[in-house]
Amino acid sequence: MANREVVYTTCKSCHGGCGVKVTKEDGVIVKIEGNDKSLTGGTMCAKGLSSIQHIDNPYRIKYPMKQVGKKGEGKWKRISWDEALDTVAAKMKAAIADPGPQSIAISQGTGRGYNRYTMRMARSLGTGNAITPGYVCHSPRLGLYALVTGYGRLYCDYHGWGGVFPKTQIMWAKQLEISSADSEMCYWFMNSLDYVKNLIIIDPRASAYASRANLWIQPRPGTDSALALGMMNVIMEEELWDKDFVENWTYGFEELREHVKEWTPEKVSNTCWIPKEDVITAARMWAIDTPGTIQVGSSLERQANCGHTLRAITCLMGLAGNIEAPGSMISWVLPDTGLIEDFNLELPITDEMKKNIIGGDRFKMGATRTCNPDAMVKRILEGKSPIKVWFSVGGQQIVHMANTKEVVKAIEMVDFMSHTDLFMGPMAEAADIVLPAAHWLELDDVYDMHPRFFIEAHNKVVDPPGEARSDAWIFNEVGKRVVPDKWWNDDYEMLDYQLRRGKGKDGESALTWKDFSEKLISGCYGPDQVYYKYKTDFWKEGGGFPTPSGQFEFKSQHLESLGYPGLPQFAEPGESPVSTPDLYKEYPIVMSSGYRQPFYFLGQYRNIPWLRSFMEFPTCQLHPETAKLYDVEDGDIVWIESPRGRIRQKLRTFPGIKKGVLMATANCFYPEEPAKGYHGVFISNPNVLTSNNHLDPMYGSPDLTCLLCKVYKAKDEELTESVFHTEEYGFVPSSGMQDV
Amino acid sequence: MARWGMVINLAKCTRCHACVAACRIEHFLPLRVTWPRLIALEVDEGYKVDVSTYPVRCNQCKDAPCVDACPTEASYKREDGIVAIDHDKCFGCRYCIIACPYQNRTYLSRKRDPGWFPGHPKTSIEKKGEKLYPHQRGTTEKCNFCMERIDEGLPKGLKPGIDRDATPACVNTCQAKALTFGDLDDPNSNVSRLLREKSGFVLHPEYGTDPSVYYIDYKLGGNDNTAPRESQTGYVVQHLSTVYEPSKAKLAVKHERGKKAVKDNCE
Ligand code: SF4
Ligand code: SF4
Ligand code: SF4
Ligand code: SF4
Repeated sequence: MANREVVYTTCKSCHGGCGVKVTKEDGVIVKIEGNDKSLTGGTMCAKGLSSIQHIDNPYRIKYPMKQVGKKGEGKWKRISWDEALDTVAAKMKAAIADPGPQSIAISQGTGRGYNRYTMRMARSLGTGNAITPGYVCHSPRLGLYALVTGYGRLYCDYHGWGGVFPKTQIMWAKQLEISSADSEMCYWFMNSLDYVKNLIIIDPRASAYASRANLWIQPRPGTDSALALGMMNVIMEEELWDKDFVENWTYGFEELREHVKEWTPEKVSNTCWIPKEDVITAARMWAIDTPGTIQVGSSLERQANCGHTLRAITCLMGLAGNIEAPGSMISWVLPDTGLIEDFNLELPITDEMKKNIIGGDRFKMGATRTCNPDAMVKRILEGKSPIKVWFSVGGQQIVHMANTKEVVKAIEMVDFMSHTDLFMGPMAEAADIVLPAAHWLELDDVYDMHPRFFIEAHNKVVDPPGEARSDAWIFNEVGKRVVPDKWWNDDYEMLDYQLRRGKGKDGESALTWKDFSEKLISGCYGPDQVYYKYKTDFWKEGGGFPTPSGQFEFKSQHLESLGYPGLPQFAEPGESPVSTPDLYKEYPIVMSSGYRQPFYFLGQYRNIPWLRSFMEFPTCQLHPETAKLYDVEDGDIVWIESPRGRIRQKLRTFPGIKKGVLMATANCFYPEEPAKGYHGVFISNPNVLTSNNHLDPMYGSPDLTCLLCKVYKAKDEELTESVFHTEEYGFVPSSGMQDV
Repeated sequence: MARWGMVINLAKCTRCHACVAACRIEHFLPLRVTWPRLIALEVDEGYKVDVSTYPVRCNQCKDAPCVDACPTEASYKREDGIVAIDHDKCFGCRYCIIACPYQNRTYLSRKRDPGWFPGHPKTSIEKKGEKLYPHQRGTTEKCNFCMERIDEGLPKGLKPGIDRDATPACVNTCQAKALTFGDLDDPNSNVSRLLREKSGFVLHPEYGTDPSVYYIDYKLGGNDNTAPRESQTGYVVQHLSTVYEPSKAKLAVKHERGKKAVKDNCE
């Protein structure tokens, strides 16, 4: 009789969080499915389900390796963990001694759940130069929400715990339905749709629910702040604002009212290329049918006016009183385990560290805790690299940062880089040492992507391949060797430490990893949650908001003190039909790299057979009429060109996209392409086209989702790379790692 | 006797492909075989744009032309309405594939299955699958409404469509809850109720096969936002050991108290 065993764990194939049930037979996984007794009701998406194709995957990195050729040549040799860790530690120690800890960069991606480890690592070493994708994903939101809540979190209340669901929902440049991203689970959102009165989709491209929503607005990419300002103007003109909230709990209303006057529906219509009725209808739905939520997508944070766009949207929330009411935007009360982020926040950023953060002098909202990656690239290229040692984990800066050519050049100039990952990819190939990481099915850790109202347990289901280890273990081992007083004897002690504020089985003692692993979740939901915190002592003794005025600030005093306008502004993208009309003549299509598919997560999974089978080739979309105008057809491999370069993607004509706009698939490289050329990162990655010269004044975010391009068919003889010639989605990476 | 049926909600489906992945796991499908499919419909009707996804799978037709076309009686109808295939009788003539007007059948080629990673040994999971759910190459396959789950669940007293262990894998995994499964013959079943409330329809009724897979479609929105009692109490959470209580948030709630204090503060 075969021996069957069930393990419950938590998925981390996107931002994560779905409860998972895994069945093993004689130690081998035979089924993965949702855990019905979890916050996600037993459902899972294709990414999470396909995680079993990571197990026994022949392309996994199994051992530490060192580069024995030149960077990017793909010549690797297996080394021991001791050699790998000692080398990394020695490089770090040498850099700390001279020229100082600020010359160490710690970088991460979005996936895998290492956020608090990278941040603790940076702080424990004494460097503020952590590199995260935050400045183009989520940080602007958190920073600007923090001007309201004090700790940077405003979530959509999709749960009904306060007796109501949101009556009006806005999905703003966001496809929450395809991925549990940015602190919300798609399952909750889709469930709440059964209770919504008005569903408003704001997206130049039809997402899944666009054609069935009550209102679908297609603004020109990069003009969203104009739309938000225009909606506020309608609310002001028609006196639809929440009188009680505005009168008793806000600051700067009259100035905002004056400020948005110029944004008439006509002006918004001209700026955003939308019918003016859309502005009026959206404003009325939003302000009249409360409570409501706005789910913001990171496409808005990949624009050089992102700070003000997010500010404008936050002001919209306040105007309608959609703050802290059941079914509106809310900042969750945490479970008894507390803020797991304290794990890194407890190590302070000293003034010395702050002073040395790259970009800190320019981007006073973004580069206060992490460095601005674009500024870093420029500094390296100027020949005075401030970075001597780069400890990279998971993320693909080469892929997601603007201007791929410059990024590659800069990264090749860094003296020493290590990269930790599951598979070889562009960043691994640019490294000197590669460390093999474990998949979430292969590790024990606390799941806490963003401080929500719960944390969960990643329970180890199977052993990692070869000598691969969990990120937690790797960080602790490196930390131990360089700054032992800030790290632990072993990684399980570190897990206990993170959970210590929770209550153990007896209700008295501190929660330990062992108990938590069984418990699976620590959460605060249902009647335990608290609404209207500004009417309590939660943020402020006597009630109010944790802002300089103690009120919800339409006009931000904090931003003014940093030298930014206190009221939200509109600005054209760096390159647009309006800001660069001459360039627009040569590059007549507005382009966004905002097209995401449900079965990929950022740069990941093009090497997972099931997921690759759903879309073999990076695809861009044009309206059939626009395609006709430029003489390209559905199914063509087309060149997309900007002043920085050109890429090829497969064209799909799609009536659901705004005319005159091209939507390209973001974050693409080809794991099966050779190491040389960084796994084909120059073939289709839209960041070959984006500029790193025009950045958001607050956060330093570049225009990744609003630029100009032209499009034309690629000739057959130009399709030389093997990706254009494989008939099936086979992927045989020719990286040197196979030689070890 | 029940007649199992599925109702697919076009308003909710997101084209996420999870149902496809779940079916691949449930039946250890060889790499290039897919039982359920997603068909994209994207049209500009001039006054409006329609972007839809039609999840399709075998309709388990009451008058199934595939069964009629099968010369060996390998394809047959079960009493519960499921159209099944006896792979020992199927000799791969593929008449049924031509007979199915919905193109819901696949022929599994006799060529050796290269596995998930061609040129590499099969993974432990694939090898297990070959034992647990052997596929007979050179025969025809299709969605079987996860009849193995139904057949195992019913004797345990489980209700297909209600109890997970007796419900199709794709239905269980759908995050949009776009798939509903149940007994079409029971007027009070979840599927029958949905069909009445949202006016269900079948694809291509003109084929005259009487499918057991129905579709519903409607505009999102227009709902009452009152939360039913069960959603006010939080989520049902798996606590592997039972001694734990949900945490209680400790917070001094002093509603409506602070207005004056706040006013004072900013002057
Ligand atoms: S939505 Fe995210 S957490 Fe849930 S199954 Fe998919 S990848 Fe995993
Ligand atoms: S799992 Fe559900 S939402 Fe996803 S494609 Fe299938 S039916 Fe549609
Ligand atoms: S859908 Fe096709 S394969 Fe399925 S029962 Fe009907 S005719 Fe047969
Ligand atoms: S009902 Fe079962 S066999 Fe049919 S598509 Fe769904 S998972 Fe596959």
